[in-house]
Amino acid sequence: MSSVSPSYRCSVEPVETFFFVVFALQIWAKDSLVSSVFCAKRLDMSNDAVIEIRNLSKIYRDFWGRKKVQAVKSLSMDVKRGEVFGLLGPNGSGKTTTMKMLLGLLFPTSGEMTILGKAASDVSKNERIGYLPEESYLYRFLNADETLDFYGRLFKMTAAERNRRADELIEMVGLGKARRRQLKEYSKGMARRIGLAQALINDPDLVLLDEPTSGLDPIGTREMKDLILRLKAEGKTVVMCSHQLADVQDVCDRIAVLFQGELKVLGRVEDLLEVRNEMQMRTSNLSDAAMSDIREVLKKHNISDATFSRPRADLEELFLRTVRESGERPGRRFTTEEIAGKPGR
Amino acid sequence: MDFDVTPFTLQDMAASLKSWLLILSILGAFSLLLGMLLCVARNGAAGIGIFFKGLLGFLNDVGSVSPRRIRALTSLTLKEAIRRKALLVFAVFALLLMFAGWFLTNSNERAELQVGIHIAFILQTISWIMMPVVFFLSCWSLPEDIRIRSLHTVVTKPARRIEIVLGRIIGMGIVTLTILAVMGGIGYLWIVRQLPTEAKKQLTCRVPVFGHLQFINPEGQPSLKGINVGDVWDFRSHIAGNSRSRGVFVFDGIDDSTLVTGTETGEGGSGTLQIAGLRMECRFEAFRTVKGSESSVRKGVTAQYTLSNNPREEAFGLFSQSETLRPLADALRDAQFRTAANRMEELATKVAADGEAAKNKQNLELMPADYMGLQLGSVYAAGVMRDRKDVALESAATAFQKVAERGGDLVNIMASNAEDKHEKIPGLHEALSQSMKQLASLLDQEADTLHEHLPKLEVVLPSFHVSEYHEGAAENVKFVPRTVRFSADAETQCRLLARLFEMINETGQLVEGAGLKSDLAAQLESEGKISVANANLVVEVLTEQLASGALKVDGSKLVVADGQRWFHFFDSLIQKDLLISAESEGWMIERDLIKDLTHDGYLRVEVACLNDQMYLGMARPDLFLRKPDRDFLVGYGKALVSTSLMMLLIIVLGVTVSCIVKGPVALFFTFTFFIVGQFFHEFMRELLYNPAQQGMGAIASAVMTAQHRNPQVGMDVSEATQRVVQGIDAVPRAMLWGFSEIVPDFSVFNSAAGFVENGFDVPFFETVVPAFLIFLGFLIPCVLIASALLKFRELESK
Ligand SMILES: Nc1ncnc2c1ncn2[C@@H]1O[C@H](COP(=O)(O)OP(=O)(O)OP(=O)(O)O)[C@@H](O)[C@H]1O
Ligand SMILES: [Mg+2]
Repeated sequence: MSSVSPSYRCSVEPVETFFFVVFALQIWAKDSLVSSVFCAKRLDMSNDAVIEIRNLSKIYRDFWGRKKVQAVKSLSMDVKRGEVFGLLGPNGSGKTTTMKMLLGLLFPTSGEMTILGKAASDVSKNERIGYLPEESYLYRFLNADETLDFYGRLFKMTAAERNRRADELIEMVGLGKARRRQLKEYSKGMARRIGLAQALINDPDLVLLDEPTSGLDPIGTREMKDLILRLKAEGKTVVMCSHQLADVQDVCDRIAVLFQGELKVLGRVEDLLEVRNEMQMRTSNLSDAAMSDIREVLKKHNISDATFSRPRADLEELFLRTVRESGERPGRRFTTEEIAGKPGR
Repeated sequence: MDFDVTPFTLQDMAASLKSWLLILSILGAFSLLLGMLLCVARNGAAGIGIFFKGLLGFLNDVGSVSPRRIRALTSLTLKEAIRRKALLVFAVFALLLMFAGWFLTNSNERAELQVGIHIAFILQTISWIMMPVVFFLSCWSLPEDIRIRSLHTVVTKPARRIEIVLGRIIGMGIVTLTILAVMGGIGYLWIVRQLPTEAKKQLTCRVPVFGHLQFINPEGQPSLKGINVGDVWDFRSHIAGNSRSRGVFVFDGIDDSTLVTGTETGEGGSGTLQIAGLRMECRFEAFRTVKGSESSVRKGVTAQYTLSNNPREEAFGLFSQSETLRPLADALRDAQFRTAANRMEELATKVAADGEAAKNKQNLELMPADYMGLQLGSVYAAGVMRDRKDVALESAATAFQKVAERGGDLVNIMASNAEDKHEKIPGLHEALSQSMKQLASLLDQEADTLHEHLPKLEVVLPSFHVSEYHEGAAENVKFVPRTVRFSADAETQCRLLARLFEMINETGQLVEGAGLKSDLAAQLESEGKISVANANLVVEVLTEQLASGALKVDGSKLVVADGQRWFHFFDSLIQKDLLISAESEGWMIERDLIKDLTHDGYLRVEVACLNDQMYLGMARPDLFLRKPDRDFLVGYGKALVSTSLMMLLIIVLGVTVSCIVKGPVALFFTFTFFIVGQFFHEFMRELLYNPAQQGMGAIASAVMTAQHRNPQVGMDVSEATQRVVQGIDAVPRAMLWGFSEIVPDFSVFNSAAGFVENGFDVPFFETVVPAFLIFLGFLIPCVLIASALLKFRELESK
């Protein structure tokens, strides 16, 4: 009997069509609109700054949004193409925080920055960046080969390229013997080495190294410094933070010193520390009489070009002084105007 | 469990798609708004810009998804699962299988029960073992990665967050599917090897065709329900034994593909024959008013099937719903169209009289029910006749249609509250009466044509004992060969002879000189497949008729003297008892099950109970046709596919939740989701859509409690207050609605296993396809939500 019961047909309403159109529009918009807004270089890149930071601040908050600590305070600085830039500061001064903000791991509370001309939140910038984290944030169940292969696959690299690069890097960081062992068996220094290798897998233009020498043996430290210099020679830009001031002094072109999230010192290392192949004598302040007596003595020894000046510190001294002074006189800050006014002070 | 699924149609799919899009757009709009508000709250007016930049960045990510990176992330997830020893589940599984045999195998059980237990054990074990694996894998993996910061290194590579999410889901999906496939394979082998040999035969997938059930009550009239023997649970309706009471199953879509190959013992037990036929299986329930001897209990109740092709019952049966129309209905069903014409004429007169009575505001003779019966009956009559696509029935169908329309007009206005009701009604009576009169005269004129073109064919099958309580017992499975041989009733006999003679006459082979052809009896025997005695009888009677002048030879043809058609000629012979067979079985003839007994794919099976004082209970799924069985592996595979879809859905949900909360919390959320979806989905729908459950909201209830009033009376408050209360109460309701739409109905995924456990094939479009669509319906939004959560959360700060 059911053959005669009327059958009701449900009509497809235009609502569905509408949603499909909207979806199609989004896809189209992605190609045109988004790319024009996003992929275009937003800040003026006429100068050759690889990293530009303006008034960057970061406040860590807890779950309820209450302020825990202000890790970075109104930081402004540039890193130029091809230089080795050192970020110094005592523990907890915000170096790692700054780096993580540059990489988009942390969101700034306020301020702006561009890295390779792109926003920090733009993933595509990562194609040309290498990052060595403070500690090895790697998959411990992979071995060295697999680790490099995995990270290599995330870049546009052919299998052959990947393998060649992985071999080179493993050779370079000296893990040839341990390449088939899982990372969970690695010692701290070995983990640093594989971390360095993964940071360089894509032959990056900009390398961010967070305490690259920590955990390395003296030879490793030496090699690390050589590597940084080699990268520089290849035209790469390196940003590193370190507590090994001697190393920093050896490799860095420019440095910034942070203290409690504030930029205290920024400039070329040569400017900040002058050449030391001269004799220096240190006394407490001399009276004029004592000074002329000394000149007499020098004249007697045929030294006529003696100058009297305040002594200069080495980097360690500069660092210690900055920290000490900052502690004694809080509030003084290296400002944007100073960067703009005296480039490369 | 009910294995009679409602078909899942394209319309259902369109409807689900529509509500899916609705939910999705609500959700989307809601989250966009929330995102915007958060941005504004955090950054002031600049927040709007930040919001749109973020949104565009997100779309950009979605658009720049790279299969290469997804593959890398997928294989990472695979390695992780393997190195973290997810495959240990195999050990657990193997252990369970080793010892299960001790408890499950019991050779005393009936075979079909053993099969069910074994299948259920394997399918349940697989899903219960998989459950913790997928829950932990999906809920723990991402949070753990974030905690030990290994994800940080990944996101400082060009990997998009959506790729990370997809890599997780795909990787875990592969792990899960692999484990399931291996366990499924082992489980299959285990079932096959563990089952005792006699039970192995039961290891098939039955493919049922279910019908629609109506009844014929003990007075012989159609009804929707049978007799209630006092069960509280009104699932089955009963038919009384040894009465006119019948259960009528109407099957649709019957064709050659419904037939199976069965065996029949050849003539005189000469081996078995492979022949095509229809297989029917029942699981009726008996209700006895007397217990009888023990042997009769064991033998079961006797039932009998009648296959019929009965357009007259279909077309006119509904007239009998009204007492007044019953004589009309009976005449129509018996093909007494002239009598029916008289009845119709009488009714028409009554209708006209009612018109007069209505004008004078007197009582009507016919009840409203009679008018409704007239209208509904005519609708069906017209519909069934039209459906037969027979030009000879066209005019009658039109006449019934007209009565249906006029009757409809009248019934509608009777039921309405129109102002001018009383002015209009007499006219409508008149019009209805007119159309009925026209119909009556048409029935009278075309009585013979209608009789010839609305044939009734009934094949009564041998009776059998119903084996109660035994699903799939051999006694309950009946095989009817495609070519059925049965003892014909008068009408069928008449039709057979008329058709036979028309056919032979057409070729001019009936006559030889002035008499009948000498070998006519042999020809009748071979072409009509009737017995020698019956063929001789026909030739004998026809020779007499020719001699008496009732038939004459016209050229090479034989014609009925008064110009009647053969059908009516034979009808009159039968009426005059001239063609009574001398054989004990009467007129045995052959008919084809598909060609003769089904019409438009419809097959009508009437079930009778033959024992006095017994009742046979039946529900719609209790009689089904069995198409060729499928291999057990087919249904088992589909059940596994359903289970895998469920696991995949859990993975998708788990990964999504774990993008924003830590492992234990994610586990808790996903598990709650699962439990609610598994066990409370029905309950939520009940709360929302069942009016009986739809109490008042919390506030309304509180107000009423305070006022000592009940829901019937309502609150004693002003209109405005009532609005406010209802408005507030609508909020949790809307939330419940949203929740019930968002939480997936997990029971869909388990239904497949039920089919296989009970020896049925899994209906693909009704279980697997919806399960897949549910999965897909969650996959798409979940991936988007998960990647948005991952993108807009600060990975570092915890
Ligand atoms: N996830 C965090 N939640 C809350 N506060 C944090 C978090 N990470 C860092 N901090 C705080 O932010 C400040 C800066 O930390 P950061 O790690 O940037 O210092 P750092 O200069 O790298 O120090 P170190 O030389 O020890 O590596 C510290 O006071 C630290 O306690
Ligand atoms: Mg640090």
